Amino acid sequence: MTSTSLSVPSGRRLLRSGFLLPALLIAIVAVLVVAPLLRILLSTLTPEGLEAWQAVLASRLSANLWWRPLLNTMILGFCVAGGCLLMGGFLAWLVVLTDVPGRRFLALMATLPYMIPSFAAALAWGTLFRNSRLGGSAGFFETNGLAIPDWLAWGLIPTAIVLIAHYYSLAYTIIAAALSSVGADLVEAGQMAGARRPRIFFGIILPVVTPALVAAASLTFAGAVSNFAAPALLGLPVRMQTLSTRLFGMIETGQNERGFVIALLLIAVSALFLFLSDRIVSGRKAFITVTGKGGRTKRFPLGGWRWPLFALAVLIGFATTVLPVLVLAASSLAPQSGALFSNWTLHFWIGEGGGQMAQGQAGIFRNPVLLDALWTTIRLGLVVAFTTMLLGLALAYTIVQRRGSLIATVLSQLAFLPLLIPSIAFAAAYIALYGAPIGPLPSLYGTFALLVIAASAHNLPFAVQSGRSVLGQISADIEESARLTGASLVRRLFAIIFPLAIRGLFAGAILVFVKMVRDLSLVVLLFTATSPVLSMVAYRYAAEGFMQFANAITLVILVVCLAASFLAHGLQNRVQKWKET
Amino acid sequence: MNALATGAADAIQIRNLVKRFGAFTAVKDVDISVPPGAFLVLVGPSGCGKSTLLRMLAGLESPSEGEIAFVGQTVSSGAGGVIADAGRRNAGLVFQSYALWPHMTVAGNIAWPLKVARWPREKRERRVREVLALLGIDALAERYPAEISGGQQQRVAIARTIAPEPSILLFDEPLSNLDAKLRIEMRSELMRIHRATGATSVYVTHDQVEAMTMATHVAVLNNGRVEQFGKPIDLLRNPQTTFVATFLGTPPANLLPVRREGDALLFNDLALAPAALAGGRAEVQLLYRAEDVGVGVVAGMPSLTARFAEAAPIAGRTMVTAMIGELRITGMADGYFTATPGEPIPLSFIRTPDAVFAATGERIHQ
Repeated sequence: MTSTSLSVPSGRRLLRSGFLLPALLIAIVAVLVVAPLLRILLSTLTPEGLEAWQAVLASRLSANLWWRPLLNTMILGFCVAGGCLLMGGFLAWLVVLTDVPGRRFLALMATLPYMIPSFAAALAWGTLFRNSRLGGSAGFFETNGLAIPDWLAWGLIPTAIVLIAHYYSLAYTIIAAALSSVGADLVEAGQMAGARRPRIFFGIILPVVTPALVAAASLTFAGAVSNFAAPALLGLPVRMQTLSTRLFGMIETGQNERGFVIALLLIAVSALFLFLSDRIVSGRKAFITVTGKGGRTKRFPLGGWRWPLFALAVLIGFATTVLPVLVLAASSLAPQSGALFSNWTLHFWIGEGGGQMAQGQAGIFRNPVLLDALWTTIRLGLVVAFTTMLLGLALAYTIVQRRGSLIATVLSQLAFLPLLIPSIAFAAAYIALYGAPIGPLPSLYGTFALLVIAASAHNLPFAVQSGRSVLGQISADIEESARLTGASLVRRLFAIIFPLAIRGLFAGAILVFVKMVRDLSLVVLLFTATSPVLSMVAYRYAAEGFMQFANAITLVILVVCLAASFLAHGLQNRVQKWKET
Repeated sequence: MNALATGAADAIQIRNLVKRFGAFTAVKDVDISVPPGAFLVLVGPSGCGKSTLLRMLAGLESPSEGEIAFVGQTVSSGAGGVIADAGRRNAGLVFQSYALWPHMTVAGNIAWPLKVARWPREKRERRVREVLALLGIDALAERYPAEISGGQQQRVAIARTIAPEPSILLFDEPLSNLDAKLRIEMRSELMRIHRATGATSVYVTHDQVEAMTMATHVAVLNNGRVEQFGKPIDLLRNPQTTFVATFLGTPPANLLPVRREGDALLFNDLALAPAALAGGRAEVQLLYRAEDVGVGVVAGMPSLTARFAEAAPIAGRTMVTAMIGELRITGMADGYFTATPGEPIPLSFIRTPDAVFAATGERIHQ
């Protein structure tokens, strides 16, 4: 060390890294989140907008535009939240707290449905239960002589079932994490006090996981409310509208202002419920362990119920993961959608067009639009995964570093705002903002860039959360001890922080990738012919009645999602070899 | 009273250092200097500001006021903030949590700071082998931190810190995560390393035994302020405040509140010492060391009856603690001694008080 190096002032560098990054982040978050919301609000305050408010809320149309969709949406939300709590809670209890056989297998099964797009289950439902009321070919059951009543084929009930089958794994994940944080010590302390099993369950375990139950209920509620695919595929044919399908219909038919009004109302409904649930648990956050690291857990013996309950759990897993996939696969091979298992052909996959089948449409792998969409989808997933994790890490770093400061509070509040906004409403806000040229900037509508921007913004809450949990694993001491060696910020980033964070970042990126690849509700409004994505192409096919094509594409999406998950799983064990032992 | 030997050549000079976090003042006007090669121990109860002080020395926190100079060069000041970055002040810090990089092997952990400092490969490898040998952990070179025990991790952390040959070594409660036996071993180990490297060391601990055994200089901190700074033996013999008097020393010394009546100082109704010791005050506190309090009645010495609380044998004698009302008194009995808790036992004050303090805590010099 020389004396010159001692006296070099580091003030300027402090200034640069100290203020540039937060300022830049605030600007990015403002453009991504605040601007679209402000814009959509402002567009409904113009004369046309005010007219739209009146049309939606107080006119002869409002029953159709607002009240009935609201009622349907609410019913769906409550049914799905309740169903998910029951199923997710049951499986979580079984896997975490009992001696059920094959626990790891059941745990894996319970997390899979979330990897499958919700429209996969909806399409599979249609393939099985569709009846002849609306014309077109009937589903598997009806073709085989089993009359399917309308209520089981279309509308609220099948939509709710399909959504529960999709979202229960979210509830499972949250509840299982909370349950595994109930350490054996807690339970054994209860046993020492002489409490019996029901008393322990209701007196100790349930209160500890209540916040997780509320969180699971509100998140599945919000998911059901904002879901577009299931109500669109199973409800629209019988004119069952939810707020999200209404919103889509308005924008699709060019009634943008009315669409924006409905989007704002949808945001209000969703935000209200998430806010209420947050209030319910806010005083109890102290004992939530989100990471699920609870050391030893106490497993209750099930006795004679071990195998029956195991069978029930396997049945749930089979019906929600394997069965839809099998149905989709069979359907994509069967020329007649009712006869799933006869005359199998690869026509819908690789057949040449112009023949008798499928009104002369070629198989999906001969369709240039599909190949284009496949490429766009993967590119979108990769780019958004990258931008999201980068942004999330930067935001989390700034928030953690400046904990307690105004900048940190503002940033974390803004970054979590998209959580309250259903993705289809978010897409509407993006249309409001970027649908027309802004100053010298061209209109972004229909471009790949807009998809990336909107998706990054939509994923911000998740990104910040995973960024924080990643940084949380790196103690301040470890970073400081690297600082003491004199290593620069960049060097510390690459030699210390990055290798330690890579696993978490990778896991987060894969989740974002999968979410993007299977997403429909965000892209359904932002999609145009120039930026096709797989889920949108599948939806178009399904809307036009080409179920086999839609099912085949959905399978492609599934394969991409599963491949990404397995790839991630394989890679994760390689990147951090010091954790092997 | 704070500066022992000030001069331009002081390895560490801390002048009027203040650190505020919002409205809370963690470090209040600290003024300490130590010569090269010194082993400075900052000791005090938790929350006394000692770790904050160490982090300012390391350059991880900037002072609010005052300045820190290493070998005559100002490295931090209230006006200029952190002038020399943490990495550029030729100081190494051993963290309480060890802060080993989990993704690097033991050898990798030790080599990385040298890589950052651009040591040539050959010299680097030689140095890694050297410190591995110095700490006796050669066999662990290729292991990952998660694969070795806590005591071994501690050695790696020390090896990593001394490898770049810093002229100043900082230790943040390095032994607090080890079990009692290992702690005593590592204490001698650290002193050996201190001698071997010749680096000026600053060591933070809440354990006064560590302070007394390791330090060449001790600063006792309380509430962000330096209560007393000096050589360990001077602090023990000549405590300037009641805090220092009761914080240092094993077994703990006794402090008895007394009031002046006539020509005697009375504890309850027992005359303990001549009133002249009080220096004209009505109420003072007398310091009696444990060895100045005997168990049993000694003819001609003031004695009283206390309720027995506990006894612990130490080196052939027994340390006896008894209660007088709410006051704990520690005395020494010859041989092994025990009694039933609550049983009345006689205590005698067999010597004159070691020091006299005002009721407010400061020493009254005779």
